[in-house]
Amino acid sequence: MSELPNDPRVDQAKASDEGLLDAHESALGKQHAPDGAKYRLLPIAILFTLSGLILFAGTYLNRYAGHYSARIFNENAKPSSGAPAAVKIDPVALGKTQFNAVCITCHQSTGLGIAGIYPPLAGSEWVNGPSARLIRIVLYGLKGQITVEGHAYGAAAMPVFGQVAGSAYNWNDEKVAAVLTYVRQEWGNKSGPVTADEVAAVHKAIGDRKEMSEAELEAVK
Amino acid sequence: MTMKSEYSPTDAASRWPLMLLIISGASWLVLAGVFALISSIQLHTPSFMALCPVFTYGRGVAIAETAFVYGWLANAGLALALWVLMRLSGEPLRAQNWALGGWTFWNLGVLGAIIGLGLGDLTGFELLELPGYIQLILFFSYAAIAIPGLLAWSGRLRRVSFASHWYAAAALFLFPWLLSIVHVMLFSAPVRGVLQPIVAGWYAQSVWTLVLAPLALSIAYFVVPKVTGKVLPSYEFASLGFWCLILVGGLTGGRHLVGGPVPAWIASVAVVSCALLFFHTFVVLLNLRGAFTAPGVAVKFIAFGVAAYVLGAVFDTVTSFHVVAVQTQFTYFDEAQKQLALYGAATTILFGGIYFAVPRITGKAWLSPLLVRGHLMLSLLGIMLLVISLCAAGATQSHDLLDAKVPFATITAHTRDSLVGVTAAELILLLGNICFLANFYGTACEILKISSPATFSPSSAMETPAS
Amino acid sequence: MKNNVIFFLGLASALAISWAGIVLGSNAQLGSLAPFYDDSEGAAFPARMAGAAAQGQLVYRDMGCASCHTQQVRRPGFGVDKERGWGDRQSVARDYIYQPAPQLGLSRVGPDLANLADRKPSALDASDLLHLLYAGAPGMPTYRFLFETRTLGVGAQPSEKALKLVGALEPKAGTEVVPTPEAESLVAYLLSLKNPYTYPEAVPFTPPAGEGEKEGAK
Repeated sequence: MSELPNDPRVDQAKASDEGLLDAHESALGKQHAPDGAKYRLLPIAILFTLSGLILFAGTYLNRYAGHYSARIFNENAKPSSGAPAAVKIDPVALGKTQFNAVCITCHQSTGLGIAGIYPPLAGSEWVNGPSARLIRIVLYGLKGQITVEGHAYGAAAMPVFGQVAGSAYNWNDEKVAAVLTYVRQEWGNKSGPVTADEVAAVHKAIGDRKEMSEAELEAVK
Repeated sequence: MTMKSEYSPTDAASRWPLMLLIISGASWLVLAGVFALISSIQLHTPSFMALCPVFTYGRGVAIAETAFVYGWLANAGLALALWVLMRLSGEPLRAQNWALGGWTFWNLGVLGAIIGLGLGDLTGFELLELPGYIQLILFFSYAAIAIPGLLAWSGRLRRVSFASHWYAAAALFLFPWLLSIVHVMLFSAPVRGVLQPIVAGWYAQSVWTLVLAPLALSIAYFVVPKVTGKVLPSYEFASLGFWCLILVGGLTGGRHLVGGPVPAWIASVAVVSCALLFFHTFVVLLNLRGAFTAPGVAVKFIAFGVAAYVLGAVFDTVTSFHVVAVQTQFTYFDEAQKQLALYGAATTILFGGIYFAVPRITGKAWLSPLLVRGHLMLSLLGIMLLVISLCAAGATQSHDLLDAKVPFATITAHTRDSLVGVTAAELILLLGNICFLANFYGTACEILKISSPATFSPSSAMETPAS
Repeated sequence: MKNNVIFFLGLASALAISWAGIVLGSNAQLGSLAPFYDDSEGAAFPARMAGAAAQGQLVYRDMGCASCHTQQVRRPGFGVDKERGWGDRQSVARDYIYQPAPQLGLSRVGPDLANLADRKPSALDASDLLHLLYAGAPGMPTYRFLFETRTLGVGAQPSEKALKLVGALEPKAGTEVVPTPEAESLVAYLLSLKNPYTYPEAVPFTPPAGEGEKEGAK
């Protein structure tokens, strides 16, 4: 029954299994304070740790859980200040998309058109002129001859883009405004933006009609 | 209090399922080590074995991880959980045929998974690199192995329960649920888009906190008081620590999705859950602190494992906060944390448990003291080198990644030296594990002979602290 | 804990809480996430994956590419993903709704690939990617088993798909290196990786004045 040498081949145990079970069962609730102390420090420290962690967890979640929203991906955001409900559309970007999808086939990415067939937009007096004329061209299209920068164009017609009977494109007023805003600031053009309200006003005032002609446009100031 | 021998007929009668589980676990561990070594070489020398699709880096790490987690940790952890439950019940293991059948199909399943991974049936989910067709086999065979354990728990001679009971029973009971849930949600009726990584993350965190860590803690809570002969110093809080782990563990599911394409609350809940788990870790440390001063190889392994467990938990909590995660996320730091948990904590505690259990299961001492000491030295050295090298590589990588001007070729060159350190560590660990497998195999063969019985000093009732 | 029934009920309910909270909770929020229809663009985003790309995603998964590459862009200000040209905005859940096996990844041994096909100023094209797979890169292995070396018959024209390899990689005279169908679908997948549209929820959050991006915890 003497102590066995420290043999790495067998790890000795000091307690039997029953002893282990009994001792721990009877230890529950009976781990007393050391002599001379009124209470044991450790349990209090443990409970303080737990409460501290729970307090931290609550505070952290309140601040960084994004109110459990499915739409918040940045933990610093809040529903009120965070991800906006709708994207603010940049008219220039939208206009560029529209232009590149449709207008580019005739007016070209350079905005110079094709000599003799499609008039240029870059530096054009029509594009940089009164917005009321320009809105009408895009909304209702244009037929017949038109003179741009001293050259006459008339071989092709400008299609109807607005939400007008017979339109192949049905662009809403916002898209019309966006594409006009885009062409009025591209290729060196420096004219002011066209708002969707302006387009809507023209659209409402005129209603449905056929393509414009140069003469009609020139009457518009 | 009766004096009872440490080696009793109950052990002898329950021997075979336990020995088979351990030897298959140790074999998978060596296989995992080979693949981990190859993969670690490929990290600094990408052309190494690159011509063979089975050994391509992505498949190699998946095979290494599967062999390690489902081959080694599960087999060894189950063996020790069954053993602890059997010892504490005071009766031989019942329904051993279930365990034997489960052992057969579990290991066939792991083999099938590894062949499947080699052929390219990866799932892409961390800690779940199991082809879908293997998961049902694993589900049923785990349940079959768990049955004797749960019978030992419910049929125990004394109504009292001990911390080891809770952890072992939790691991046995929860894994089949976890696996069946992810099988349905990721394989039979897959959820859409980012829900897949969310479910997979929940599984990976849960399989660690609810299965692998409890398996290890179950044996640690058993061995430490047995060896020291003293009541666990903060045992009254052990149950609180246990329930903290079980309740909060699964909520850490979004741990690796911080800043990712998932709603912010998933990551934030994981961050606070990691912090809350610290309470559990603190209780474990308080209770098992006796391991740091106790004698013996088993307790040395366990003491190292407990230290790694605590360190890993601190590491995990700190790196989960957004300010730190922005630096450490996607770098070798994540790998260091994973190795600290799976290797540093779980594996070393299981090693300790096996060194403690095998002489009691077999009635034979370990065959070679040299191999025991060699394994201890190589393991501790290897793990420290592994974690330190990965952290060094992670520090370099994190610094370079956050500088948008540094190209990836430069990062590769900068991390090369540390990654060579990782290879050295993997090599050391593999050598140690070969020692372990050889020694275990030799000891198992001793059962068939009469010689070299283990000599146990008598163990007695546990001394209760002076009050 | 002497009562077995209560103990196991406790275990089961603990698992059920985390399952319901994390898994079912996120499923309820994101499970029916629809593509975002932009009226002004007249299209819904994200676009569906082409068949070849969806197949390529499975090749990507089976090769374990995700062990070195992530596919999740972190928000500007959180890391330098934007500065590295990986994407101008954070990846959000909606980006992945059509992907059969999203590959978020956990490690950046190599670059993030979420917007690989949208790199500015110049994105890689199919032949660049095939060459990269065949020849490897510093830190990246070769994937030669995704290619086939074929012998050219006498007088036969080389295949259009044959890789243009020079120097040490050049195949022997009379042979050519062509990609296998796996390599082709992998490349189709890589070329489909772009998230050009900015969803409302992906618009970067700018903290109100006086509130920095600081963490509440130490």
